[in-house]
Amino acid sequence: MICDHLSRLLALHVIFCAMGKASIDQGARNHGKKVSILLREEPENPKCFAQSRKDFTCFWEEDEELSGSLDQYSFTYTYQNENSSRCPLKMLPAAGGKRLFFCHLNQTQMFVQTDIEVHREGRLIHNRSLLIELVFILDPPANVTVSRTAQPLQLNLSWVPPALKYMDDSMIYEVIYTTVGSNVGQVEVVAASSELILRGLQPGQMYKMRVRVKLDGISYNGYWSAWSDPVFMETVPAELDLLIMSLTLIISFILVVLSLTMLLSHRRFVVKKVWPTIPTPDSKFKGLFSVYGGDFQEWLGQTNRGIRLTPAFFYSEECPSPLEVLSELSPRPSLPFPPLPPKAFRALPSVRKEDDDVKTEPEDRELMDRGDPVLSEQRTATPHNLWLIDRIRALNQSQVPCSQSYLLESQDTYVTLSGKNQNIDELDDVLEETLPLEVLFASRKTASYESHSDLGSVPQSSNSSRLSSQSSFEYPNHAWMTKGPGYTYMAVADSGISMDYSTMSRVEDFGKAVIYSNDYKNEIPAFRSPFLPSHHHIDDDG
Amino acid sequence: MLQKTGRGLLTLLLLVMEWTRPGLSSPLRPICDLRVLDHFIKEARDAEVAMKSCREGCSLSESVSVPQTTVDFDVWEEKNGLDQAHEVQSGLCLLQQALGLLKTSVTNTALHSHLDNCIRNLLSINAVLRSLNIQEYTPPASAAELEGTWRVSSATDLLQVHVNFLRGKVRLLLMDAQACQQDVS
Repeated sequence: MICDHLSRLLALHVIFCAMGKASIDQGARNHGKKVSILLREEPENPKCFAQSRKDFTCFWEEDEELSGSLDQYSFTYTYQNENSSRCPLKMLPAAGGKRLFFCHLNQTQMFVQTDIEVHREGRLIHNRSLLIELVFILDPPANVTVSRTAQPLQLNLSWVPPALKYMDDSMIYEVIYTTVGSNVGQVEVVAASSELILRGLQPGQMYKMRVRVKLDGISYNGYWSAWSDPVFMETVPAELDLLIMSLTLIISFILVVLSLTMLLSHRRFVVKKVWPTIPTPDSKFKGLFSVYGGDFQEWLGQTNRGIRLTPAFFYSEECPSPLEVLSELSPRPSLPFPPLPPKAFRALPSVRKEDDDVKTEPEDRELMDRGDPVLSEQRTATPHNLWLIDRIRALNQSQVPCSQSYLLESQDTYVTLSGKNQNIDELDDVLEETLPLEVLFASRKTASYESHSDLGSVPQSSNSSRLSSQSSFEYPNHAWMTKGPGYTYMAVADSGISMDYSTMSRVEDFGKAVIYSNDYKNEIPAFRSPFLPSHHHIDDDG
Repeated sequence: MLQKTGRGLLTLLLLVMEWTRPGLSSPLRPICDLRVLDHFIKEARDAEVAMKSCREGCSLSESVSVPQTTVDFDVWEEKNGLDQAHEVQSGLCLLQQALGLLKTSVTNTALHSHLDNCIRNLLSINAVLRSLNIQEYTPPASAAELEGTWRVSSATDLLQVHVNFLRGKVRLLLMDAQACQQDVS
């Protein structure tokens, strides 16, 4: 029997020792956590904290090499209006080659100013003044539990506050909850309550929750405690709300039916918008694509229609200008126009040669200068106009397709001067209608114009002078453009738009300073719009 | 119509009588919510901060007696409720006198408003204590001088003592008040 008692006592003793050890271990762990928190949070030395109403600890850290023995240090504390007292010190080693010196008090006075001094060998090394109730650091909340509530996306978190009398209602708590695997947590602060309902959670997620505690700072104050051990709980997965699902399906079905109905009723409109018809020139060329497979020459050969319908097409690039630049012929004012008509009546290929001759002449004069005598001569030279008309008619009759053309590449379009408005009008009318290419040039003596131009560029005078430009010829012979210093050239891009050209006249050659900026209206009748514009350099020697 | 008028007059009479009823007041509901006191503590702290930043016209003309604010929990808990109450009430009385004196010494108008607040709050605390069935107590002058008092000569020290007293002893008393304990338990 005694043995039984003894054995029971022994068992109990062992149990209590184990429990005590566990609690001591826990206490030691908590203590260690608090020390590390304070080392992090508190900049002043010595670092002091209170754990309960009676417990008070101060410590400071020193390097092992620099610190002395324990008896070199003294810790004194003084309450307001009282004598100072000493606190016995303890030394503990710490990580990283450091030493911690501790002072522990079991009895404290709160709500009163406390001065603390640390001396080493009589020398003051640390000094601090504080109120003990303002440096609390508590144990983390214990028994943190979580449970589901009646609501699907809510969790009820509860804990037990640290056992401190008089301070329950002064405590505030911070709860942090995150989904497992996420780094961003949501924080909630709770005051004077030991439970919290987490709302607005995501369904089917595992949540991790932790709590820490602090005094609220009105009567007592301190540092945040360490985080409690985490607890985990999964929220219920989302349930498909049948009503919402069915409504969604019905509405989407109705929308689909409506859109289909609309599409079917307006399908032609939709098709036209989505796949617009690309215009083809097939209607203009009957049989070109269907019969001849796009072979234009064959189609041309087979039919006469092309010429009739769109003479402009064929004559655009290829027809030579029937007009010549009269001023081109010679710089001498005495050089009359009359020589020109004979030249013009020569075969057109020779015109080309003549062009070359003319081009080589270095002294090309400005038209304007020449214009006066020329014009005057022109006015008198009515036969020239007649010649022109004859010429043009001849051309028309011959119906030379102009494809073989004499003036294929290096053409200049020449500009004739005509001083007679009425004639010009007639000419205009005639030429406009019948000829694909015309350059009508009418100017007064004040007008200036180019001697050579790819398109007849004509300064617009107030008379009915009008230039209907034709297609510009390709002009590879830039050489001749640069030959004559006295030449002024102007190139025109035949694009059917009005263009402004300002022409500079050569002063030195003629002794006249004439500078004109002319409004030049480049009229191209609509049927000539298929002309291909070609762009030329404007080489202004002036 | 006459009946209505009569009823109205009677109601009015009863109201007036209720207001003007002298002497015994009905027992007040105990004010157990400590947020009231927390509010007073915050205002006292504001006054202390304002006094610390004051440079001119904010000094105490003479040294005054103030209650000791030290709370040793072991010692405090050994005292009975009555002693605790007496200690608090005498301390409040001393503080009222000291703050009144400070108010006359201080010329800074901003501080004046703070001090007015503090004095008003001390009177409210007395009312709160009354609501907790704590009898009014006026300490004898000599006793207050000897025990449990300090002398302070600077305005900042005075206001610091004021704050510490409210946070410490007054709050502990209110928390421990029997009237509030009965509600809880």
